[in-house]
Amino acid sequence: MTSTPVIEAGRRSAFPPRRRAPTLAATFHGPPEPSYPAEVELLEREPQLEQLREAILRSRRAGGIVTISGESGAGKSALLRAATALEPTVRVARGLCDPLETPRPLGPIREVITDLSAGRSMHLDLGGATTPAELAATLMQAIAAEPTIVVIEDAQWIDEASVDVLRFLVRRIESAPILLIVTYRPGEIGAGHSVRPLLGDIARQEGAVAVAVPSLTIRAIRALVSETGLDAASVLARTGGNPFYVTEIVRHPGEGLPASVRDAVLASTNAVAEDDLEVLRLIATAPDAVDDRLLPLLDIDVPRLRRLEATGLLMRSRRGVGYRHELARLAVEDAIPLAASAPLHARMLDALERSGSGDLALLTHHARAAGDDRRTARYADAAAADASRTGAHTEAVAFLRLAIEHFIGEPAERADLLERLSYEEYMVSHLSDAIEAISDARRVWSAVGDRRRLAAAHARQALIEYYGADRRQAERHVGLAIEEVDSPGYAAAWATRMYLQLRRSDVDAVKASARVASDVARERHDDDVRLRSEIFGAAADVLGGSATAREQLLDWADEARVLGFDEAASTGYSNLVAIDVDHRRFREAGELLSRSLPFTVDRDIPLCSQWQTGVRGRLHLLRGRWAAALEDAGSVLEVEAAPLALLWPNLVAALVLLRRGASRELAERHLDRAWELAGRLDEPLARLPVLAAIAERAWLLDVDDDRLDGADAAIAGLHDGNGGEWAAGDLAVWLARLGRPVAAPRVAEPFALELAGRVDDAAARWRALGSPFEAALAALGSADEAVAGGAVDELDAMGAIATADRARGALRARGLARVPVRPRTSTRGNPSGLTNRQLDVARLVAQGLTNAELAQRLYISPKTAGHHVSAILAKLGFATRRELIRRAGEMGLA
Amino acid sequence: MKRFIIEREIPGASELTEAQLAEIAVTSNAAVASLGVPYHWVTSYVAGDKIYCVHEAEDADTIIEHARRGGFPADLVAEVAYEFGPHTAELVLQ
Repeated sequence: MTSTPVIEAGRRSAFPPRRRAPTLAATFHGPPEPSYPAEVELLEREPQLEQLREAILRSRRAGGIVTISGESGAGKSALLRAATALEPTVRVARGLCDPLETPRPLGPIREVITDLSAGRSMHLDLGGATTPAELAATLMQAIAAEPTIVVIEDAQWIDEASVDVLRFLVRRIESAPILLIVTYRPGEIGAGHSVRPLLGDIARQEGAVAVAVPSLTIRAIRALVSETGLDAASVLARTGGNPFYVTEIVRHPGEGLPASVRDAVLASTNAVAEDDLEVLRLIATAPDAVDDRLLPLLDIDVPRLRRLEATGLLMRSRRGVGYRHELARLAVEDAIPLAASAPLHARMLDALERSGSGDLALLTHHARAAGDDRRTARYADAAAADASRTGAHTEAVAFLRLAIEHFIGEPAERADLLERLSYEEYMVSHLSDAIEAISDARRVWSAVGDRRRLAAAHARQALIEYYGADRRQAERHVGLAIEEVDSPGYAAAWATRMYLQLRRSDVDAVKASARVASDVARERHDDDVRLRSEIFGAAADVLGGSATAREQLLDWADEARVLGFDEAASTGYSNLVAIDVDHRRFREAGELLSRSLPFTVDRDIPLCSQWQTGVRGRLHLLRGRWAAALEDAGSVLEVEAAPLALLWPNLVAALVLLRRGASRELAERHLDRAWELAGRLDEPLARLPVLAAIAERAWLLDVDDDRLDGADAAIAGLHDGNGGEWAAGDLAVWLARLGRPVAAPRVAEPFALELAGRVDDAAARWRALGSPFEAALAALGSADEAVAGGAVDELDAMGAIATADRARGALRARGLARVPVRPRTSTRGNPSGLTNRQLDVARLVAQGLTNAELAQRLYISPKTAGHHVSAILAKLGFATRRELIRRAGEMGLA
Repeated sequence: MKRFIIEREIPGASELTEAQLAEIAVTSNAAVASLGVPYHWVTSYVAGDKIYCVHEAEDADTIIEHARRGGFPADLVAEVAYEFGPHTAELVLQ
């Protein structure tokens, strides 16, 4: 049998002996590499490491956030490396921000996604997701499956779109086993920096950990220089204890003490040959790292790469070949002779183009530094379009400015760029810049004799002027836009005219314009304008008192949403909810805001989001919820909001502060600002409430105010059917309290009752409506001394201390026998101190939700939910949640 | 030079067209030419969702360097320890 030898051979082994046993050295797994490949020695970082280790462990149960702050070279990345190495089973996804003049939209987010996809058959596609909310949801889905550390490094260079995505992530982080770590240099984020809103959100998150990475002490430096012969005290004095600087000095102890961190770095290049130095400089022109695929195009071969790596300045990572530290890159880049810089950038640009790179931000960077106007303009133009699409409007503005600055071509093309710039400036609420850009565009259209585009630019400018609270200019530009029937902005101009008429409560004019606008829109198949015209028409009907118009308006807005006219829909909500609040339809207003505000954030419509937040502040004010009112007002006032959106926040802040009797000066400033805005807007529904507030102040401080001289005329200027009866009533009642009664023909019921002397009935109406402050003020006039005294107690209880004091004075003047003295603070059962978040939670608790259910609903951990509930109960002075449930109705939380 | 087998995971690899493979070859040749050290691309096999390559270089680092420059994955790089085939059976008779 032939098989026998085989069996025998098998006994000896069918295989020849291996020449060499397989070892790890012979088998390599290629990329993915670990996110933090290098081993590092850490000194004096034990407390920070411990903070990070605890945060990583905690995040396996419920998501958490850590910020790491430290100056450049403090060792933030080294700390992260060490911390993530402590828990190697938790995966790490890193997103680095780069020091480009204008950052890449979504740069770090895309990197995080790449990191998550690396080495897995999973391929995340961001293509479908466009809004920050959608991107955050996609990201969340990808990372929530297993414990993950998401690191955003060098957030001082982050783009606006990434900030928006991360803010969404932060809100939901507790519901997933994610640890978000954000590192930044505190000295490089001034007021108004893109990252501030994100850091603000993080600071408000319960349990967020802030890790500071300080300079090294003399002890650590002594340890580092121990074998170098250097004097530790001199090194400390020279470096300020900056770990990067110290380490660079220690690497070349023979060179003595370098004068600067730059000199310390450049010591590593002393022995480098001139042509190698050229390549080191070339690599230094790349703000991130040189993609490996560019190496063939840049003629950087392996032997040269090895020589360069021997300097210890470079590092190989997933991103390619780059400097080990930004300080090292800067040192080399700064030392490039002036004349050599542009050619290096040109070489890099050429390689990028030949590689087919689509990295528009990077292409723009190199084109600009290469002094290539044509390419700078072209890439900046494309980069701006990309930025705008992803919602990175701050970056879109910067790219467009660059594109315009370097533009060479036809005037009409330049005007197009200016119009785009104007839009992006409007999106970031820089209205005066937006006006300047559109005015520049108009001048170009005018110069080239394009009357149609000129008129369209007028139409655009009208809207921006109005957002800037300049009605006079807005009306002028609308007038000019409407003169040109053939203009592409003709229909839109009519919609804007309607909008302006609506805002002035000119119901009849709105109806007249609506007929023109809807005809024009239909003729031109312009659904956006058709829907705006329907929406404004319906809003005019709401003002006019129609019972069905409100539902109609919501239907039109829904249709606009479905068709993708987000701004039209959002504008509809903004105007309706302002009328709702003015007319004290609190339930409807609250319900609408809870849907429309997230919509404006989600669709990135900043003006509506600011406006509606301000209107919600006014809603809280009218319901006696001072803390929530101030919170909303503050959140609009602290950003660079459009002037139009500042009306209610200023009014709300003024009134809350006046009633509380704190920060008088600040209150006055807000009131003055509101008065100024109301003057520029010239609208009854702005002017009358501000006049009412001025009257309230005059009553409170017992002073005259000549701004009230026009009050009679303001009320008289209203006519029936334009929805001014609440605003007029409010003002008329305050004027009456001041002892200067006016003729107010038609005012809303509770005011009418009070003006007619039926103060108890008025108080009852206010109580039923859910306005405790107005109820107390009405009750103050009650003939029943117990009722009047009780009103003072109520004012005290809701924290309206100044109003209560003034009321005490008024009662004493009336000769009341028993005027309550100012009590010790007691806000039992009073929701005036609850924040927006706490109001939300309180409503859910009132529905009987458990902590676990709250956690699920609000994307927080049950523990945090428990903390919220405890804080709410403490503020309300309740011992149990049962008490809250029982009294929810009277507190308006049911 | 040593010989290496490189496993590259490329989803849908076997559906790559001849034109696409030609493009990959151009990129790979350019990467080889840019290295400045001895390198020889012997051959490659497309199979399922993978491409298996046989390359020769001084060390595995250079294999990885080539992959980086070409933008190719290199999920596994293994040095060939021995090549054998039917003729190896003849060794038994000795």
